[in-house]
Amino acid sequence: MKGLLLKRRKTGPRDLTVPIQLFSYMVLLAGAIVMVLPFLWMASTACKPPVELNKLPVRFLPDNPVCRQNLDTLYNTSPHFNRYLLNSAIVTIGRTLGQLVTCSLAAYGFARFRFPGHNLIFALCLALLMVPFQAILIPEYMLIRKLGWLNSFKALIVPGMFSAFALFLLRQAFLQIPLEIEEAAIIDGANPLRVLWHVTLPLSVPALAAFAVITVQAAWNDFLYPLVVSSTPNTRVVTIGIALLQGERHTPYNLLMMGSFLATVPMLILFLAMQRYFIAGIAMGGVKR
Amino acid sequence: MNARRVGLLLIVVLMLALALPVQAQEGEAVIKALPCKEPGKLTMWVWDENWAKIIGDSIELWKSEYCPGAEVELQVQPWGQYWDLLKTNAAGGELPDVFNMSQPFFYFYAVNEAVLNLQPYWDEFGVDTSVWGSGLVGPYRWGENGDLYAAPVNWDTITVFYNKDMFDAKGLAYPTADWTWDDFAAYAEALTDPEADVYGAAVYAEYQAGYPNWIAATGETPVVDAARTDCTLDNPGSLEALNFLKGLYDKGYMPSVSVMGGTSADDAFNFWASGKVAMITGGSWKLTQALQEVPFNWDVVQLPKHPQTGRSRSIVHAVGYVASARTANPDLAANLILFLASDEGQRFFAEGGNVAPANPSPAIQQLWIDSFGETDVNIQAFVDATYDSQGVTVFEEIWDVMNTELVVKIFDLGMSVEDAVAETCDVINEQLP
Amino acid sequence: MSTLRPTTTHWRVWLARPLEWLGPTPLSRRKALWGLALIAPNTLGLFFFFGIPVLMAFSTSLQEWNAIRPARFIGLDNFERLIQDDRFAQALTNTFKLIGLAVPLEVGLALGVAVLLNLPLRGRNLLRTAYFLPVVTSTVAASVVWTSIFQPRYGILSQILKPLGLGDTNWLVDPGLVLIPVAVVTIWQRLGFDMVIFLAGLQAIPAELYEAARIDGAGRWGRFRHVTLPMLSPTTFLVVVLAIINGFQIFDQVYVMTLRTVPGGVGGSATTLAYYLYRRAFTNSEFGYASAIALVLFTLILLVTVFQLAIQRYWVYYEAESQS
Repeated sequence: MKGLLLKRRKTGPRDLTVPIQLFSYMVLLAGAIVMVLPFLWMASTACKPPVELNKLPVRFLPDNPVCRQNLDTLYNTSPHFNRYLLNSAIVTIGRTLGQLVTCSLAAYGFARFRFPGHNLIFALCLALLMVPFQAILIPEYMLIRKLGWLNSFKALIVPGMFSAFALFLLRQAFLQIPLEIEEAAIIDGANPLRVLWHVTLPLSVPALAAFAVITVQAAWNDFLYPLVVSSTPNTRVVTIGIALLQGERHTPYNLLMMGSFLATVPMLILFLAMQRYFIAGIAMGGVKR
Repeated sequence: MNARRVGLLLIVVLMLALALPVQAQEGEAVIKALPCKEPGKLTMWVWDENWAKIIGDSIELWKSEYCPGAEVELQVQPWGQYWDLLKTNAAGGELPDVFNMSQPFFYFYAVNEAVLNLQPYWDEFGVDTSVWGSGLVGPYRWGENGDLYAAPVNWDTITVFYNKDMFDAKGLAYPTADWTWDDFAAYAEALTDPEADVYGAAVYAEYQAGYPNWIAATGETPVVDAARTDCTLDNPGSLEALNFLKGLYDKGYMPSVSVMGGTSADDAFNFWASGKVAMITGGSWKLTQALQEVPFNWDVVQLPKHPQTGRSRSIVHAVGYVASARTANPDLAANLILFLASDEGQRFFAEGGNVAPANPSPAIQQLWIDSFGETDVNIQAFVDATYDSQGVTVFEEIWDVMNTELVVKIFDLGMSVEDAVAETCDVINEQLP
Repeated sequence: MSTLRPTTTHWRVWLARPLEWLGPTPLSRRKALWGLALIAPNTLGLFFFFGIPVLMAFSTSLQEWNAIRPARFIGLDNFERLIQDDRFAQALTNTFKLIGLAVPLEVGLALGVAVLLNLPLRGRNLLRTAYFLPVVTSTVAASVVWTSIFQPRYGILSQILKPLGLGDTNWLVDPGLVLIPVAVVTIWQRLGFDMVIFLAGLQAIPAELYEAARIDGAGRWGRFRHVTLPMLSPTTFLVVVLAIINGFQIFDQVYVMTLRTVPGGVGGSATTLAYYLYRRAFTNSEFGYASAIALVLFTLILLVTVFQLAIQRYWVYYEAESQS
């Protein structure tokens, strides 16, 4: 039983008893079912023929799956769909790399250096998280328009390269790292950039993985902002491509869900790939205390 | 073409000629496109991918036949955010030159002088704007002289969709266009079958497809009057209609909002399509979907007539093309709109099916009916419903309260019609000038 | 010193003085300069791309503006109107109720799930993915499935509650109940997000500490209580602050749960501040009034966050600070 459930690991908690495991599984599975139901409906609806869309109550499996046909219809209805996916990828990569640089620098600055206005500036950055985006939608649009950036990748990427959330997340992670580890490097005469790159960031791999998952997901799913700053197929992202499938009078749910499903797959692959960085030991493994 | 079809076509042409005052000679276009004076660049917004294809094709024709050298940047915006986007762009001082407009939203843009008065152009182009039915263009008229600010793209009317299999199972004759509210109530009772979890009818959901049609049949203007001075929901006609529907609901012939799963006409349609209700009110825009997706035998019939007034009145709505008041190319914008509304421009809609073209030319209307191919469904009922129809008088700010909240209060929370309309009118009156 | 070598130090003093505000010693000044240089890109970017629009929005709160006509300055009229606005008061109450319902459960469940999913269980990656799924599931799918779950008679929940006589409970329409489904969907949607942050935080806890606690004879609960919780507290602080900020801004979830019935709930029973603000702005074209609501909302969040920052020293344990 133990061997069945537990991963064979060299350094697993040795005292994980069978009842505890069973209990964990039951709780986690029950929760997981609720978590995945809407996703299951999305995946199954993507393969439903139109006749099955209206059936009540909601069904989680199609009687006659027509995945391929729906996929073709999606691309007929939305010929630029691949372009939208590509645009989303460009925007997501640009924003994530940008935030990785600006936010890790800033988080390090706030976590390790004292300077006048330290708390005030940090508070002001955080404060920007507190304004609901619906309230600044129009000013944001006007600013981008003034810059002459409408319908450009600049508009989609550059403002997204800065983040108060990532700053906060990484600062908290850096604060969890014992100072003494860094101090050894500082005494060696390394400048702060080298310490950040060679000591702090490698120690923060799990936090960086969380940052990557959350930032990529947020950039990929961003909707309102790209909607107002771009209106041509060349710069449209996939979330808007999906919204375009909803008509005033009729929403072909199967196509809509097929589009949503295609857009979700890259995020799931990324999340699974990131799993290896959520394993204990990585953070401290490289450094002897 | 067999004799029956020829006969049907003749009737269609005759009835259209009677209903929509058409002065055109045979072979002559009802609305004639004209060449543009000077080509230029325009941006245009639409909200539907299908429409974008159809409009895109007709714009190609305009560019090659009427305005060589013109450029139109046609942008599709998602319907769900269309109006928010329009306001955002207006705030930035930049509306598209030409864009799609819906009747409940027109007032805001008209009162703030954001849309171009097209009346001088209709006069210049020699278009008699009365060729369009009043429900189609009335809500787009503005100012003391009732100038027309938009060209209607399409029309939508409401009929009763019914499940023929359920009628057959109960041995009931199919309803005909001269049925009354009393007949309707009798059918609803006969078709209700709690054992089989089947309701007789679901006919209240949403402004255009729901309860306002019943109010209109009493002769009352539903929800607010056209002049925006009065909430009409507490007038006798409205109370009569709502109480009639509430009576059917109380007797268990109609499902509650929650049982249907939502307040939209689509929820009612899905409930019907999954065989849980025998009769619903539905719009012409549902024809294509119903023909493709409904697994049982079905047909449509005009709304039942009010016993005293003898009238059956459908709410009619038309999407319009408008131009921005601040466009740099007003002449060109007006010329494009003229083309899109002309017989030549509207052919694309007629042939594309689904959307009924606003152009009243009998040939165009027939083209639309034919676009559905061979079918037993009485598509003509939708055309007939345009004759005595009610234009849209409601507007964005009161939309949710009358479109969903009123319905939930009466058909779900068990509130009396009188209490529910009193609360609704309170909210509506706040928004009236 | 200057009396000894006045001419040669003159320019140095002049140069040094502008930097004196940075710190008392050359080393502290050097460190301060590094700090400022490090934070500059992100801070300037944030202030430019978000700070400017925020200031623009706040200045709109003193105006009457419908997005088309020129804006008109009206002083504090919008704020006076706010005080008398019953619907605003209702939205404020709803928002606090939702935060009270959702945030403790959300953070508690996320912590529990993260701790369980940090155990070396078989299929752990799949389970983690399952809990992350809501973050990336389409809102439309969430709306359809959740509305159908809460639907009376046909819904899954009704089937479960039928034996208790609650089969016809009208969750989405009843003004007294509708906030519960909205809170449920908020928890559902945020759980995976919080879990990811907690998982990252859990990895940063040195294994040696657990070993040491074990040697000291601490049981599983003891280790959780005395190692995991304190060591995780910077992460917990982050999650709580973010969850409350998000709670104040709940918008999508209202939309998801009420779109198909009455948007914003019957009589505004599901209307939150963010939702009310949006409706005032885009439905009623009262952009000045909406900005005033945004400013109030902003101030509320700021006060709560500053309060949290102030009390963190009583419960948040920072490794770095304890060393210095």
